[in-house]
Amino acid sequence: MRDDFEEVINVGQELGATYIEVRGQNLSQTSVTIKDSRVETVKKGMEQGSAIRIFVNGAWGFASVGTLEKPSLVDSIAEAFKMAKTASLKVKAPSRLSESKTVEAKVAINPKKDPRKISIKEKIDLLLAEDRTILDYDSRMKSCTINYLDITGTDYLMNSEGTYIEQDKLYIYLVSVATAKEVDRLALSHDLLGYTSGFEEFDKETPEVIGRRVAKRAIDQLKAKKPKGGTFPSIIGPRVIGVFAHEAFGHLAEADLTMSGSVLIDKLGKKVASEKVSIYDDGTISGAFGSFKYDDEGVPSQKTTLIENGELVSLMHNRETCQKFGVEPTGNARAQDFRFEPIIRMRNTYLAGGDCSFEELLEDIKFGYYIKDYRGGQANLDGTFQVGVQEAFEIVKGEVGAPVSNLSFSGNTLETLFNVDAVGKDFALSVGVCGKDQRAFVGAGGPHTRVKEVLIGGAA
Amino acid sequence: MEQPSPEELISYGKKAIDTAMRKGADEAEAFLTKSLKTSVAIERGQITKNMRKRGQGLAVRAICQKGVGFSYTNILNEESVMKTATEAYQSAKASKPDKEWPGFPSPMRYNSIKETYDNKLATISSEELVSIASRMLEEASSFDKRILAAFGSVETDVSSKAIINSHGIEAFDKGTGIGCVLGTVARQSSDVTPICIEFNVERLYKINPEWIGKEAAKQAVSSLKAKKVASGNFTVIFSQLALYGLLYYTFINSVKADQVQRDQSVLKGKIGKKVASDLISIYDDGLMANGLQTWKFDDEGTPRQKTSIVQNGVLKNYLYDCHTAKKENIKSTGNALRRGQVSYMATPVIEATNFVLEPGNTSRENMIDDVTSGILVNDLQGAHSSNPATGEFSVVATPAWMIKNGEISHAIKGSMLAGSIFNVLKNVSSLGNNPRKIEQIVTPWISTDNLKVIGK
Repeated sequence: MRDDFEEVINVGQELGATYIEVRGQNLSQTSVTIKDSRVETVKKGMEQGSAIRIFVNGAWGFASVGTLEKPSLVDSIAEAFKMAKTASLKVKAPSRLSESKTVEAKVAINPKKDPRKISIKEKIDLLLAEDRTILDYDSRMKSCTINYLDITGTDYLMNSEGTYIEQDKLYIYLVSVATAKEVDRLALSHDLLGYTSGFEEFDKETPEVIGRRVAKRAIDQLKAKKPKGGTFPSIIGPRVIGVFAHEAFGHLAEADLTMSGSVLIDKLGKKVASEKVSIYDDGTISGAFGSFKYDDEGVPSQKTTLIENGELVSLMHNRETCQKFGVEPTGNARAQDFRFEPIIRMRNTYLAGGDCSFEELLEDIKFGYYIKDYRGGQANLDGTFQVGVQEAFEIVKGEVGAPVSNLSFSGNTLETLFNVDAVGKDFALSVGVCGKDQRAFVGAGGPHTRVKEVLIGGAA
Repeated sequence: MEQPSPEELISYGKKAIDTAMRKGADEAEAFLTKSLKTSVAIERGQITKNMRKRGQGLAVRAICQKGVGFSYTNILNEESVMKTATEAYQSAKASKPDKEWPGFPSPMRYNSIKETYDNKLATISSEELVSIASRMLEEASSFDKRILAAFGSVETDVSSKAIINSHGIEAFDKGTGIGCVLGTVARQSSDVTPICIEFNVERLYKINPEWIGKEAAKQAVSSLKAKKVASGNFTVIFSQLALYGLLYYTFINSVKADQVQRDQSVLKGKIGKKVASDLISIYDDGLMANGLQTWKFDDEGTPRQKTSIVQNGVLKNYLYDCHTAKKENIKSTGNALRRGQVSYMATPVIEATNFVLEPGNTSRENMIDDVTSGILVNDLQGAHSSNPATGEFSVVATPAWMIKNGEISHAIKGSMLAGSIFNVLKNVSSLGNNPRKIEQIVTPWISTDNLKVIGK
């Protein structure tokens, strides 16, 4: 691979490119889908491909192709060069790339249980055990769909500055969806697990543990009340504070989006949150779904402090945006796969733990909501966010009360961050698949967190 | 650009089927695609990238004693095709029997389709795409000093697909598409608007980049100085983009036969019953001329067709693939789709094709005229977090405007809409004459009464 890439880069340099980056990938995937105890699909796939990115006069040209064969790579580099030149004709303010240390590295994975060595039968049995736990939990459980996926492969990266990295990757992902029904009432429960460690994780998160969690949530929802609409004090659970840190705040702090007009554009060094709040984006947590060693521009991953005690201290950068801000790259440039160019993405984004027990968070709330698990979230550059919730409870006189269904909450991100008045001492990280034209595996989390008020979108 | 060759794809498909059948499969199927996408990206007010992506792939399904094995690859040579077919067969053997396996379909006659391939798009140069992007951008940037074109793109694709199975299906189709999108924000001191999006997405070269640029900019300027709304029940006009999100994440799910059969749809048992206002008629048309999802056959090789879903408020049909149709001993409606960015990696699932909510004859102006106190919503945040099983939603309306006495009075912010799609469709008071195509949905503006708005 290395020799082929070197030759291709030489071709690009003769054409006159400022910067050339060649990525290659081998990817294997195994997945199993179970629906209501029926094995729907056993799937195996193998792909390879390459992506060439060229920087000419401040504009990018990019060509991807589903092969690693050298003649195709040579065609691609000529095409990418021509495309960069075409785009550069219209560039008004050419950008530049920051300096970056060159890296030579080979990164191996080291799972205790390599999913490639686990038989299809064992994977099917794991899913069927979860399926039985869900459907046997209660006669009102009506259906479940469980989808297991593992992705393994190697990423190759060489650039014209001398970096060459071979990086093995491993992802394991399990999605469980179940419904419960009582008379005409339907309830839905949804669960995601994801790891970069290995199949050994299912020794702790056993199919029975997952199944009971999924089923209980659906059954609880059957007797759930409808939420009141309006602003209420709320305790946000670890999974939901994670999606808030990611969706409502994180995207605004991706430097490309910040520069596109997010409300953080003039806030660096300023207070953007209550001083109880510190938020990190950390790609170095062992085994976490959003962790990796080097990003797709060859920059080492790191733990980046975004907010420290309420003050915005850094954005998330690639080599192009950090140059504009005069700072070091943060290792946030990620590409979904060989079909895509690297763009700024999050890794594991979380709010840091504080010093309150769950009871202390609860005790002052006369009426409010405990928002435990989400269904989805979204934010806009103006700082408006929405988080749809799948599991929530009333808080009445300092105690957790009845379950509440189909609630969502919304607000302005910075106002909400200023309204954080107490932070729990617990901590949990969960997983997500973030979409920003491309898919990225990420982690998100934090402690139980109390917010003085959020807007609760009630039911009809 | 190169034209995809049907012979090339079909010969690899045949090789795959031969291999799987020779290994001992009871049935086999090959699905192949080839695609070329060219795009120009706009970021932060300027053109920044020009990209070309070529892809091809093969998916093989092999059946062995009703066990289903699936394997895919993007390496198209004889050795890899044989290996992929063998993997599919081995996975089928390692799997468990699917008692409900319906068998692959047999050959049927396909209907002809119109306006799905434009040679102009298949051969367009990247210089021309850069020029389109730059015209769109200039129009937005020169509209008002407060405008920033935050992101945008012009993208064309030309693709082909083939399906071959051991029952004799041997089908090929090709298509083109173009999408031009611009997202703008307006900024005035500390007032930042939400992203305001305008677009053209077509199968043929029918675009107006200047119009996109101007409309996106106009929308952003009119979103400045947004105020909060007091909570209450209002008449709400949903634009096509806003209604797209709601219909896609709620209503469409409840007419998919698998959701119905598995007791995950509130529309189960409602065929022949009233589920929406008399004004509402909906059909799924896989053959619609210039439809974004129009192909001759679905992703199992079943002919595409037009299926009535709701007629004057009465539920008529659900959407089926082969698997769910077999369970009720009827025919598939041609709604199997290999969904996702890369179709050959995906197993077929039920999906709408061109899901058309029939337009009315009220103009936009008259729809606004008729509202004494209400809200016009152009986009929704959080539609994807709606409850797909019950149709309930709780979303943020943004950008959105207050309507008073038949006039748009000012932009609003921080307002949530809560309700159920079924109540929205029951309370519809008028339908616009302005249908637009957005992914799987074709809809006009609709005006609906008495929707709960949660504000300050």
